[in-house]
Amino acid sequence: MQTMIRLDNVVKQYDKFRLDCSLQVPEGRVTGLIGRNGAGKSTAFKTMLGLIEIEGGTVKVFGKAAKNLTAKDREQIGVVLADSGFSGYLRIKDLMPVLDTLYTDFSREQFMAGCERMELPINKKIREFSTGMKRKLQILAALSHNARLLILDEPTAGLDVVARDELLNLLREYMETEGRSILISSHISSDLEGICDDVYLIENGRMLLHEDTDVLLNEYGLLKVTFEQFAMLDQRYLLRKKKESFGYSCLTNKRQFYQDNFPSVVIERGDIDKVILMLTTSGE
Amino acid sequence: MNMIINHSSMQPVYEQIVCQIKGKIIKGELIEETLLPSVRTLAKEIKVSALTVKKAYDQLEAEGFVITVHGKGSYVASANQAQLLEEKKKEVETEFEQAIRKARSCGMEDSEIRALFEIVLEDS
Repeated sequence: MQTMIRLDNVVKQYDKFRLDCSLQVPEGRVTGLIGRNGAGKSTAFKTMLGLIEIEGGTVKVFGKAAKNLTAKDREQIGVVLADSGFSGYLRIKDLMPVLDTLYTDFSREQFMAGCERMELPINKKIREFSTGMKRKLQILAALSHNARLLILDEPTAGLDVVARDELLNLLREYMETEGRSILISSHISSDLEGICDDVYLIENGRMLLHEDTDVLLNEYGLLKVTFEQFAMLDQRYLLRKKKESFGYSCLTNKRQFYQDNFPSVVIERGDIDKVILMLTTSGE
Repeated sequence: MNMIINHSSMQPVYEQIVCQIKGKIIKGELIEETLLPSVRTLAKEIKVSALTVKKAYDQLEAEGFVITVHGKGSYVASANQAQLLEEKKKEVETEFEQAIRKARSCGMEDSEIRALFEIVLEDS
């Protein structure tokens, strides 16, 4: 069982920003990367693809240093980045032979079937596509060459809920084959909650949290208490508190404990958005 | 597999999966040696992470309802009827223990307890 992606104390220094983090994506996993804009997600992706030099730590993809990946290795990776895309002058019809040549395992049938399913016109120039359509095309291209690893930077951004659902289903189908992994970032937490096995939360270039998705959804919770209630609360399992108009909202990773011992307190289920809001904004 | 997951429920998804599969096995809707859908296929159908489904399958295996064969998948365990019966008997034993402890704690003598038991047995 191989580790598909491995970042060990990777350091990248920019003028006002420093990336310093670790993460691992094992084989057979769908891992989510969440965080605010500017937190370092795209930078992390670039290190994995060998697009930028790092100043410390190691980045390994398929067990090799990212900068040593051969062309054959790269064929095994399907990528969708925020600013990647295809030449607007091409039509899908023109794009196909390009993809065919680029990738040994490109499947015309699969790609065409995908385009039909996503209702993408093959005879229209790509620059006439809507944002959503361009996105779908990028993803279909990434899925069409039997890649072992998908690295997707906000693949569902700008898509309506129906399109997002369709795309996530494509990703779920992709994962039905053994030996594959996906690293996906998104601001749309509900998308991630329906597919990711675990998530990493990055803030200011550092990992704040790494948790299994179902633990986040089942064991994390948000307590909403008045100042008086807060005073009598057992604070051992409160990860963070935030001042509100009514008192405090508190993030816990032991929801059951508070449900059992403080039944009168309002407790909401945990989810990715709550975790991001509570852990990345200033407390009081 | 006909499985309905309530994503808005306080009950964890893996628990819902365990309960529903267990229910189907007990009711006989899933008979022994039936191959359950693969972890990833079920995850796709109910739109949850594969890890959640795996946790559910692991728990079903720990409770004896399912057997996982590496490389093949998870099967409904055979002789589960006997196991279910065993489980039920153990539950009854535990409940008897609890009742006896309670009876003794309020001062009932063993002979009283036995007499009470016979009466209840007759009446039920």
